[in-house]
Amino acid sequence: MSSSLLHPPSHLPPTTALQLSQQAPKIIKEAPGAISTSALQSLFAASETPELWTVYENLLLSCLRTGDDESAHQCLGRLINRFGDDNERIMALIGLLKEADAPDNATLEVVLKEYETILNKDPTNTPIAKRRVALLRSLGRVSDAVVALIALLDFSPTDGEAWAELSDMYFSQGLYSQAIFALEEVLVLQPNAWNIHARLGELLLMAAKGSPSPDASRQLSEALKRFSRSVELCDDYLRGYYGLKLITTHLLSSPQSKSKQSDNDNLALPDTTTLRQLDELATAKLGEITRRFSAGEKGWQGYDETEITAAKTLIEKDSSVTIR
Amino acid sequence: MTWISKATTTFGLLLLAHACYSAHEHSALQAHRAASLASLTASQAGVATSLPIDIAIETVVATFIVVLGLVLGTAQLRPIRWRVWAGQIEREGEEAFKDADGEIARDYIGNPFKLLESRPGFVDIRKQRQEFADWVKSQ
Repeated sequence: MSSSLLHPPSHLPPTTALQLSQQAPKIIKEAPGAISTSALQSLFAASETPELWTVYENLLLSCLRTGDDESAHQCLGRLINRFGDDNERIMALIGLLKEADAPDNATLEVVLKEYETILNKDPTNTPIAKRRVALLRSLGRVSDAVVALIALLDFSPTDGEAWAELSDMYFSQGLYSQAIFALEEVLVLQPNAWNIHARLGELLLMAAKGSPSPDASRQLSEALKRFSRSVELCDDYLRGYYGLKLITTHLLSSPQSKSKQSDNDNLALPDTTTLRQLDELATAKLGEITRRFSAGEKGWQGYDETEITAAKTLIEKDSSVTIR
Repeated sequence: MTWISKATTTFGLLLLAHACYSAHEHSALQAHRAASLASLTASQAGVATSLPIDIAIETVVATFIVVLGLVLGTAQLRPIRWRVWAGQIEREGEEAFKDADGEIARDYIGNPFKLLESRPGFVDIRKQRQEFADWVKSQ
């Protein structure tokens, strides 16, 4: 049994998703469909593991994605058989299947109404609340989705996933400062998440580049700190070094006025020497990572191909500027 | 690496068994001698001799060899420092967590914070289906 079935599959590339869903009929045939509760039978039958149900859930998601609805229905049937259809998580999966099956927007509205009925009965049903937000966003009603998500965060403010989704929604609307705030909440909950540090750095950099406001230099220096933190938390983090390189290049090419930063010394930009050192470090690290990945060295193959290509382009652009 | 540890452990166990057997033989011999002596002269009985030093040394050495073999056979330890561990996940991906048979370790989770970016609770299944259908068409 592949280990990637033990993890939520939504970030996997299409090839892997297809591969997973092609395994589905085999797994459904081999794995036990139901676990008997009788003590006598449990002596002879295979023992129940938590992994089994995780596999069913992830298989369901993969099958829905690739359009193998028959296997998806089988997976769901077994999950309902085991946990009952009043389990919160199963309710969300049932809703997901309905969404996927819906042929037009009218059917989706019906599904949305069902979610609302469930939430009226039990307003703290988190999985259904999340599905409702996702469906609203999928229907293009982003502002409604934001309102629903804020209501969800009101009763469950320690949900990092929800804060991250909120940040992404604000970002899609172009509301940078709100997106940055939501992502900072995620970092309060998960201070060691190196990818979120890098993501926040990216948001800050985009915000600073987008608006030539007096706030820009503060955002740039904070972005610099975020990228530095992400590479501090994770050795050889390609995304972090990429961001670090971007921001040091930006800062070195367009020197910020020093006078404005004197009033808030906490977030003052480091001096040019430090910036230059950081720039050199990022260039060296990016060069090392791309070189070793391209050479096919063992232990350096975990990176994403497209990210490596982007890093190469960045280095080449940088070196051509230096030569000129 | 594994066959070295297995051979060392087996050798150590053999030594240990040999030491036990020697100790048993020694005590049997002592009992026999005591019995035969007692039949000759009743006054000489009860000369308790301790175990010869070579058997004791063999036992201790055998134990250490077994321990050495077991230690050599342990799986590679995971990094303790956060940044090294995180770096390993980013740099090597799943490869770092495969054991000798090429199976990925059960507790492998990859980057645990990836969930904050993929957000399975908020998955937009219709968009994913559309993207997948487009991908199939482009193939």
